[in-house]
Amino acid sequence: MTSLSQLFFDAASLGGIYALAALGIALIFGVMNLVNFAHGEYITFCVFALIVPSTDAAAHLFLGKAPAIVLVPVMLMIGGGLAVLSEALIFRRLRNATPVTMMIASFALGFVLQYALLAAYGGRPKAVSLWPGLNTPVELLGASVPLLQLLVIGVTVAILVILFLLLRHTRLGLEMRAAAENFTMARMLGVKANRVITGAFAISGALAAAVALILVTQTGVADVRMGGPVMLVAFIATVIGGMGSLPGAVAAGFLLGAASVMLQAFLPLDARPFRDAFLYSLVIGCLLLRPQGLFASASAKPRV
Amino acid sequence: MTKLAINDLTVRYGKLTALDDLSFAVEEGARVFISGPNGAGKSSLLKAIAGVAPTAHGRIEMDGDILNGASPESIARKGLSMVPEGREVFGQLTIEENLMIGTGIRRDRSAVAEDLWEIYNAFPILGERRHANAGALSGGQQQMLVIGRALMTNPKLMMIDEPSLGLAPKIVDQVYDTLLELQALKGLTLLIVEQSSARAARVGGRMILMRGGRIVGDGDAAELGAEDSLRDAYFGQSKPVKEAS
Amino acid sequence: MHHHTLMRLRSYSTPVLLSLALLALTVLAVGLGDKALGRAMAELLIRVTLVVGLWIFVGNSGVISFGHAGYMCIGAYMSAWLTLKPTMKALLLPGLPDWLAQAQWPVFPAAIAGGLLAAVVGLISGAAILRLSGIAASIATFAFLAIVNTVYSNWEDVTGATSSVVGLPRYVDAWVALAWAVAAIAVASLYANSGSGLALRATREDEVAAQSSGVNMYRHRLLSLVISTFFTGVAGALLGHYIGVLNPDSFYLGLTFIALAMLVVGGIGSLTGAVVGVVVLSAAIEALVRMEQGIEVGQTHLSIPNGAQEIVIGVAMIVILILRPSGLTKGREWALSGRLFQKRGQAKRA
Repeated sequence: MTSLSQLFFDAASLGGIYALAALGIALIFGVMNLVNFAHGEYITFCVFALIVPSTDAAAHLFLGKAPAIVLVPVMLMIGGGLAVLSEALIFRRLRNATPVTMMIASFALGFVLQYALLAAYGGRPKAVSLWPGLNTPVELLGASVPLLQLLVIGVTVAILVILFLLLRHTRLGLEMRAAAENFTMARMLGVKANRVITGAFAISGALAAAVALILVTQTGVADVRMGGPVMLVAFIATVIGGMGSLPGAVAAGFLLGAASVMLQAFLPLDARPFRDAFLYSLVIGCLLLRPQGLFASASAKPRV
Repeated sequence: MTKLAINDLTVRYGKLTALDDLSFAVEEGARVFISGPNGAGKSSLLKAIAGVAPTAHGRIEMDGDILNGASPESIARKGLSMVPEGREVFGQLTIEENLMIGTGIRRDRSAVAEDLWEIYNAFPILGERRHANAGALSGGQQQMLVIGRALMTNPKLMMIDEPSLGLAPKIVDQVYDTLLELQALKGLTLLIVEQSSARAARVGGRMILMRGGRIVGDGDAAELGAEDSLRDAYFGQSKPVKEAS
Repeated sequence: MHHHTLMRLRSYSTPVLLSLALLALTVLAVGLGDKALGRAMAELLIRVTLVVGLWIFVGNSGVISFGHAGYMCIGAYMSAWLTLKPTMKALLLPGLPDWLAQAQWPVFPAAIAGGLLAAVVGLISGAAILRLSGIAASIATFAFLAIVNTVYSNWEDVTGATSSVVGLPRYVDAWVALAWAVAAIAVASLYANSGSGLALRATREDEVAAQSSGVNMYRHRLLSLVISTFFTGVAGALLGHYIGVLNPDSFYLGLTFIALAMLVVGGIGSLTGAVVGVVVLSAAIEALVRMEQGIEVGQTHLSIPNGAQEIVIGVAMIVILILRPSGLTKGREWALSGRLFQKRGQAKRA
């Protein structure tokens, strides 16, 4: 039976990943009512940006060879860049479309990205060794915690703080918050729609890159399908958190991480493979009781 | 000097014609009331000028710049500010943040700070609660906030849609008093949609009467605001008036 | 003739026209004698059953469902459980309850059972999910798909998990599929023109407005989902009995994507759109598959890379959504002109 502190660290680090992913989704939804189903593929793309395009079984690090101080900013820019590009090419032309149309378009975009990666890298999962040293365990509070987990928790908190500061104390953050409440009114006060939306996508893409870095270090695998499961949890976190609520998305992300770890620890062995099914069923049950989400934001406008 | 020139403006929402070949001009520094019954197209007119209503055809010019077809934010940057019906404060932002939202288009930092204190002087309640969420304000306070917010963009032309809606008469008095002071101070051109033509008559200025998407009266507010002209406009004795610009 | 009756007759002409068109296509495909063509036609008609089933819910409610592949999976496995030889089940699927393991039903009732089970699951899942607002509900359907996939991919004793279930009687040919497709189209049209269908479409444009005018959106959504999932479940059974082999992964994201693509390309708003989308995209897929296999041009072998098929379809979907979001049919139905129903010399009443 795993110790309580072990569970805590597992939950906190998994929750951190989910929270970061959910934030990326919630940011874009808050500003333009778009559920970006391509977000999972932003994550996968960033993972594959680390390695040389080839269908070999072993991955050859390309960007991945660069030192962290170079790699991290470059990855953030790649993630942000991909997101901004997809906005400029596709979502910008759908500004006046219904939310449903935008959602389906993002679903199609996700598919296109995934199959493009498939064509370039092949379908077999590849082994990727990025910062293997981070997987060495550290003794902390009676638990054997991989250094990476501590890093994830720390990085998540740091990112949340940075994002909070950005939203509260910068011009862009102010404009994004206003646009999330009432885009038309913000525009009538001179707020540039393109700037706000591009900013939201850039941040969202950077968050996807961060998640990608964490995932690839943690699992050591690059697989064209790896973005999907994380994205699904991120979406569910956004829904439980109350669509459009940033703090709600973060809280829900941690909650789902904790629930997942709990289920994994306490489910009977036979039921463990069905852990995800239990998790999602719990979520649907939650939504039955509180359809508006656990942390519904105060703005009463129906965000359909 | 002509500030705003509207020519043959037509606005349609699907099959519904909200504005029908409207033409008029507004002088710089003028105070123009737009009155008329519900559905006359008053709000559509303001929205079309601000760039948030679909213009089927026609021309809107401010200081010689063509406004129709431009994005709302570029129109705002040209010096036009709009206070829409229903106030539309950013409830999740503080009062000060609401006021500062429109200042992104200005480059003069110190003048912005000065203007902010001016607004707090004109509306003391806003200054007292600068860091409170705007959603917590009363209706009248919110009206002051959105007027202040629009003024912070340093506009040359300001449009207000129904400033008295849902407010007690005494509050409306205050709102108009402050509005007039600020207009005199800054040399603003004002375009006000005001349901109560009696109020418009009391405040004074020019009045444009609208009905069914057309102009049916144009003259002094005190005169037109009187009962007869109003009855005509409402019940249809007047002929549409087209003013050359 | 009264305007109302005229409109009614017009709308009922749609399923007739669509069915006749599909009949004509089937006769052509089978009549030409090419076995591959006959099989392609069967697949197309199974897709029609699926996408029309999907449309019954999505087209009328305006809520996108990413979960329908899950209902397909449920229907497919149910029909398989009822039709596989008991000896095979005892060997491969020891976890099945006795009555199911012993069962050997004829194929038609088995398909119905598949549809019914899917509909029951549709009722239960819909009761939970449909209380959510449109977009949130769509995300929840995604979760539902994941649940079904996780369960069916891991429950070895009952579904064989990731190893394929083989030995399904392959009774589905173009004619069987046509029969079901026509049935689906008929029911879809009946529902769409019913009080419930019309009320539901009112909620499509504006949820808030429709609800405040007393439309019980939840109940209508639930009804349309139950009918929708029945045919989706049947489509699953048809697919299983067409290929003869079942695997949970064939009812996951790929299928979801293709079904939605067909609906979007044809036009989400109309039944005609659903059918048109299937026909157009099926033809496109056939062409793309041939191109992936490559053609011989002189000495060289030209082909497009594997995976290009999905990329092309995805890009086509995006382009259509940008340029013509209401699809090829613009959301309109194929129906006979009103004038055909007028008696000679009778003026049309406005």
